[in-house]
Amino acid sequence: MVKTLNLKTPVVESREQRLGTIVSWEGKASELVELSAYSGGCGGCTLCELSSPFTQGSVCSEQMVECQAGHVREAVLIQHSPIGCAAGQVAYNSLYRNGLKMRNKPVENIRVISTNLQERDMVFGGVDKLRQSIHDAWERYHPKAIFIGSSCATAIIGDDIDSVASEFTEELGIPVVPMHCEGFRSKHWSTGFDSTQHGILRQIVNRHPKKQEDLVNVINLWGSDVFTPMLAELNLRVNYVIDLATVDDLAQMSEAACTIGFCNTLSSYLATGLEQEFGVPQVKAPMPYGFQGTDAWLREIGKVTHREELVEKYITKKRAEVKPKLVELRKKLKGLRGLSATGSAYSHGLISVLRELGIESDGSLVFHHDPVYDSGDPRQDSLAQLVHQYGDVQSFNVSNRQQFQFYILLKNIKPDFIIIRHNGLAPLASRMGIPAVPLGDEHLAVGYDGMLHVGEIILDVIAHTKFHKNLAAHVKLPYSKWWLEQNDPYILSKNPELIYQD
Amino acid sequence: MSKQIKKIAIYGKGGIGKSTTTSNISAALVEAGYKVLQFGCDPKSDSTNTLRNGKYIPTVLDLLRKKSKVDAHEAIFEGFKGVYCVEAGGPAPGVGCAGRGIITAVELLKQQNIFEELDLDFVIFDVLGDVVCGGFAVPIREGIAEHVFTVSSSDFMSIYASNNLMKGIEKYSNSGGALFGGIIANSINTSYQKAIIDDFVKKTSTQVVEYVPRSITVTQAELSGHTTIEAAPKSQQAEVYRNLARKIAKHTESRVPTPLETDQLREWSAQWADQLLAIEAGEVRGEKESI
Repeated sequence: MVKTLNLKTPVVESREQRLGTIVSWEGKASELVELSAYSGGCGGCTLCELSSPFTQGSVCSEQMVECQAGHVREAVLIQHSPIGCAAGQVAYNSLYRNGLKMRNKPVENIRVISTNLQERDMVFGGVDKLRQSIHDAWERYHPKAIFIGSSCATAIIGDDIDSVASEFTEELGIPVVPMHCEGFRSKHWSTGFDSTQHGILRQIVNRHPKKQEDLVNVINLWGSDVFTPMLAELNLRVNYVIDLATVDDLAQMSEAACTIGFCNTLSSYLATGLEQEFGVPQVKAPMPYGFQGTDAWLREIGKVTHREELVEKYITKKRAEVKPKLVELRKKLKGLRGLSATGSAYSHGLISVLRELGIESDGSLVFHHDPVYDSGDPRQDSLAQLVHQYGDVQSFNVSNRQQFQFYILLKNIKPDFIIIRHNGLAPLASRMGIPAVPLGDEHLAVGYDGMLHVGEIILDVIAHTKFHKNLAAHVKLPYSKWWLEQNDPYILSKNPELIYQD
Repeated sequence: MSKQIKKIAIYGKGGIGKSTTTSNISAALVEAGYKVLQFGCDPKSDSTNTLRNGKYIPTVLDLLRKKSKVDAHEAIFEGFKGVYCVEAGGPAPGVGCAGRGIITAVELLKQQNIFEELDLDFVIFDVLGDVVCGGFAVPIREGIAEHVFTVSSSDFMSIYASNNLMKGIEKYSNSGGALFGGIIANSINTSYQKAIIDDFVKKTSTQVVEYVPRSITVTQAELSGHTTIEAAPKSQQAEVYRNLARKIAKHTESRVPTPLETDQLREWSAQWADQLLAIEAGEVRGEKESI
């Protein structure tokens, strides 16, 4: 295997540098497939990206470190930053507690410490405070690993978190893992996922593994435990990583038979790194959404773990079980139009599910687009699979959670509902009379049962459409008359001078 | 498996002759058959000019300014006898953050495995010696350079800069960072200049690697856009640089220096000021009778 990831340096390469990631684009999904690297790209350059003179708030790479490294059990995350970066701790604590509860684990609070840097630390350097925080973390929790996340402030002044981490790795005898996740390093926050995974691959994964031939790494967030029963039918055990995993779970990733995920955006770096550095095969297949995706995904797992017969049995059983229920659901969902607005690869999967349910889904919003994933294997080209198996998506929009663009998209497409995973999108839709299907539990849509779960939730949600219509009738959107009348979400990108008009 | 690359950082106060010295070392090393990359870490971006007929090259950060996906190979240019030249570049004076620029540029080359790919014998970082923030300390951190040299004249401001750098090295030495190889004493033409430098290295537990006299040959070579090695290969000065390069090539053991505290440094320089006044007045005293 050609080494694509450079694990020698503590600093992860950003997504745009590795994969050519973009955050703004509009067109048909089929056009984006053609332009992406799996199809040769547009002459070796990065994708033709729209550039806007205006952007609304989004998310930071550092928050992705909080949501991954900050959710490792028996570990501590130190945010080497001014206190503002710690604002996300509240939300991530709630996700962590809920996740633990859903998985029947003891509920506890996150262990995240901020070094709370101030003016004098910016001037004189913050590493002494970092050392103090590491000592405090050790005294309070005796963790099995300590993660250190950088911030914009510490990256600009050049605080040497790598040396401090090395020093304490030796002193404490546990991995102390520096993660370079300052927000300005990448235009897309998913670099934060990669930063955490890079640190774990370098310092936590066991370098002398004893193989466990029935163990499967499942790269996930906090979703409910749908993988255990599914893989149990194949005599396989689940090793959930990174969120809610223990440090030992992370260490044993090198012992597994293979690695799978529910979303290529999230799992690309870690799965590729495990294969490259530890020889743990990454299951290179379509993602497990809809019949065809799930079939192909299971068959590849069967092939890699030598369980082909069990897989075929399971596929036959589940197809027979799910199909009649799906027929019933399709009748109830007939005529509905839905719009998915989620992270990139996950959205490709969700649109497949919507189409299996017979729901018209001709518009979509993804937060970014990776023209290729780290493995470079075309079997993971999830956008092409969507287009080839389920047909084109006419209005395919790459927009990094930009509400002002989302408004026009909703106005143009007029879906009966939106399906989302991230906060901030539902209130806008609601104020336009459109209900939101919130998939906080990202595993709900996975596999054969996933189609049924999603169909049922949609029925529940559209049952209270009237509430949203009422809301829309009584609220005003915050945009100017001029913007409310626009029909092109990307007009500012195409005509940046408009932003300076009165 | 690539061979072991010797990574060296050369620091010095601005204008002290650091780039001149570094470029001559690089030139002497390529002349001796080594594969060398010189990495200019100064926003002025002129470290490698004399290796390339006095011409500026596009910098790593120029590439970053133009596009978000950077191929670091595009910032590597060949110069005298195949020496590889890279300039980190940086913002215009008074804006942005030059230190962050160095962090970004060095990291880009590391991530793309440039040093290993070029099968180098030496990487020489030429760094602005006023280590004003963490960015300028990047080359002396763990995993970048192993040996640090400073270029210093006997001027006190230059010695202060060297002393400051030693403080940085002392700080990073506990955590796997670079160690101190010694001082390249530049513009040393009189015995009292030599005596000042010798006294300083004694106080700071280090050494002088080479004494480089001030020479018109160097100025002439620079004005023609070349190193002394290239412009005046048979000159005595070229031989001085070759000797220096040989010593650096052979150098293996660097040490943790013992920089002077601010008060000590002040006291030390005051003593020398007295002695210099005495020399000027024609007075001859004690152990400095030989001057």
